[in-house]
Amino acid sequence: MNLPRDPVDVIVVGSGAAGSNMAARLAEGGKRVLILEAGPERGTGHLVSSTLYARRVKWTGPPVLDEGRNPVGFVFNSAYGTGGAAMHHYAVWPRMHAEDFDMRSRHNRGLDWPLGYADLAPFYDAIQQEAGVSGDAAREIWRPPGAPYPMPGVPVFPQGTAIARGFTKLGKTVAPLPMAVTSTNYNGRPACLWDGWCDSGCPIGALANPLTVHLPRAATAGAQLVNDAPVTKVLTSDDGTRAVGVEIALQDGTRQTVHAKLVVLAAFAVENPRLLLASATTKHPQGLGNSGGNVGRYIMTHAAGLVYGLFDEDTRPYMGAFGGQLVNQDSYPKTTHAKRGAFGSYQWMIAQAVKPNDLLGIATTRADLFGPALHDFMKRATRGFAGMTAVCEDIPVADNRVTLSDQRDVHGVPLARVTHDTHAESVALWQASLAEGKEIMQAAGAREVWTGPPGSMHIMGGTVMGTTAANSVTNSYGQVHDIPNLVLAGPGLFPTSAGVNPTFTVHALAARCAARILSTWSE
Amino acid sequence: MSNTSSRRQFVAGSTCLLTFALAGCEKKMTPAHARAAEVPFRTLDAATVAVLDTLGETLLPGSAAAGLSHYIDHQLSGDPADSMLMIKYLGVQPPFTEFYRGGLRALDALAHAVHSKGFSASSPEQATGLVGKIAGGKVEGWQGPPAGLFYFVLRGDAIDVVYGTQAGFEQLGVPYMAHIAPPSRWGE
Repeated sequence: MNLPRDPVDVIVVGSGAAGSNMAARLAEGGKRVLILEAGPERGTGHLVSSTLYARRVKWTGPPVLDEGRNPVGFVFNSAYGTGGAAMHHYAVWPRMHAEDFDMRSRHNRGLDWPLGYADLAPFYDAIQQEAGVSGDAAREIWRPPGAPYPMPGVPVFPQGTAIARGFTKLGKTVAPLPMAVTSTNYNGRPACLWDGWCDSGCPIGALANPLTVHLPRAATAGAQLVNDAPVTKVLTSDDGTRAVGVEIALQDGTRQTVHAKLVVLAAFAVENPRLLLASATTKHPQGLGNSGGNVGRYIMTHAAGLVYGLFDEDTRPYMGAFGGQLVNQDSYPKTTHAKRGAFGSYQWMIAQAVKPNDLLGIATTRADLFGPALHDFMKRATRGFAGMTAVCEDIPVADNRVTLSDQRDVHGVPLARVTHDTHAESVALWQASLAEGKEIMQAAGAREVWTGPPGSMHIMGGTVMGTTAANSVTNSYGQVHDIPNLVLAGPGLFPTSAGVNPTFTVHALAARCAARILSTWSE
Repeated sequence: MSNTSSRRQFVAGSTCLLTFALAGCEKKMTPAHARAAEVPFRTLDAATVAVLDTLGETLLPGSAAAGLSHYIDHQLSGDPADSMLMIKYLGVQPPFTEFYRGGLRALDALAHAVHSKGFSASSPEQATGLVGKIAGGKVEGWQGPPAGLFYFVLRGDAIDVVYGTQAGFEQLGVPYMAHIAPPSRWGE
């Protein structure tokens, strides 16, 4: 392991969406940046097109105790190695809406963000240009203000056409799903081939994962990435007011310390609070940034409203991107389904590419079938299958949280325990999505319609941003209230989950934070 | 940090097979070939394999011949970090061996309790009835991992070896369209 002996300007813990973005920007701003990735080195050559081999890139770090009535599905939703979870993310990149940022003030639910949509809009615009987003802003009638997309919308295959028929018959609108996937050649990257291997990781550079976009930029600007470098502790000054570096576990069982002027934790929504809690000192006896008792709280995940249909026509469901082809956000206003006891937003991701097997594969949608009936279903479904997924908002609940277990990992660091029980109004929202989805599939002409269980998509919260240490862990730039040169990045900062996929917002927040760091940097 | 590679490079990539130990030599072969060659099991014993094969055939006919038992044994015998078993996604902490052993043991005990004979000696109708019970998730006296989860995991494994391969895709008429072809042509 080639760790620097001398202090660096910035240590970034984690090489996923947030970490790679921050590292690229700070290195390009002239800072000496060290990226520490706990997992192994992975390049595009490791991204084998196989649902089975894809499982090797998911989380294999210290076990996470995934508990509660509705576990967050940590292993499936994360990864271990270069690029983090974003390496295999599906690149559905809608923007959050203005009403996502002040939900507490508007609806007396959840929390308010310490910033508004207008604060993030310029960063959404910048990121979509540099990462490359395909979409049709005019057809997205729900989209908040922003620059048009740099590439045309993703293509629609027969699966999308079949489902869209149902939306149209019911007077609803669909638009191309905004995706950080190339619909045309873009900045030296080839156009996507629409062969549905996104979950295995995109090796051709069509999907904007960290291996394709920000890690190469970081490297060009001089950032150093070190793999197999698990951080066991954030080190702070004697008076507890500043982060001074991190402690890293070496493979021979010893520890090495690297010092820095700024430490950025971008290790995802569970590992970030775990590290903060595990770095307790006499000055911070409850863990770093935890004077208000908020570290670990408000963990969220999106319940997936899974709706399927079987059509007579050949839907070619294996074509397209894993995230989908079309979007509908008619149910975005948070009280749309209030009559059902529901609260929150959801969007439809329509016509995801599917494979025969795996957790999201065709066979799993009918887990009740086995024996000859399963073979029969597989033969019928691979010709006429169609599916769509509602991304259902999860109301933040303080008791949904990351805590430290009594069990420890091989380095002696306590394991993370994640407890998550979905709020009753969020459960009702998920149920509302299924009811609407079945109606749409039937209107589309599906001869069989069925639904799936509420799987967990994405992990957010745990180190939420806010205005004070009493209500949050960081300010709007991700600076820990008590330790301003300790910065958090990633979806853990989200005070609410919204009804859209998080990665675009993760990037926008990281870009805003990096700009702030560079503009206020003083030696 | 790796650079983006072209698709052409990947399509021309390796197609080597899983490594099984046969007659003291390590040999690359598919799980189906490993079964045909009677490659010794490393983790599961013969009685457990007999239950597993019967369960596989009940869940998805053809899975035993596709090498379900050799596939699971191979995966359980390696580093959990390299495991390709779907159980990784389902909240079970590695290593996974006891999950499989415990579930298969419980299924065999259920067969003895209901039909007074082991699961591998059950008729197809009896096996189907027993699997239907565990699929429902609530089995009186079940002494293993949660029955519904065990059903879901083993069903997923059977689907993986039959339909999760290039050959499996072909059976269904689904174009595989690999960027990087997987290094094992399971199910050949």
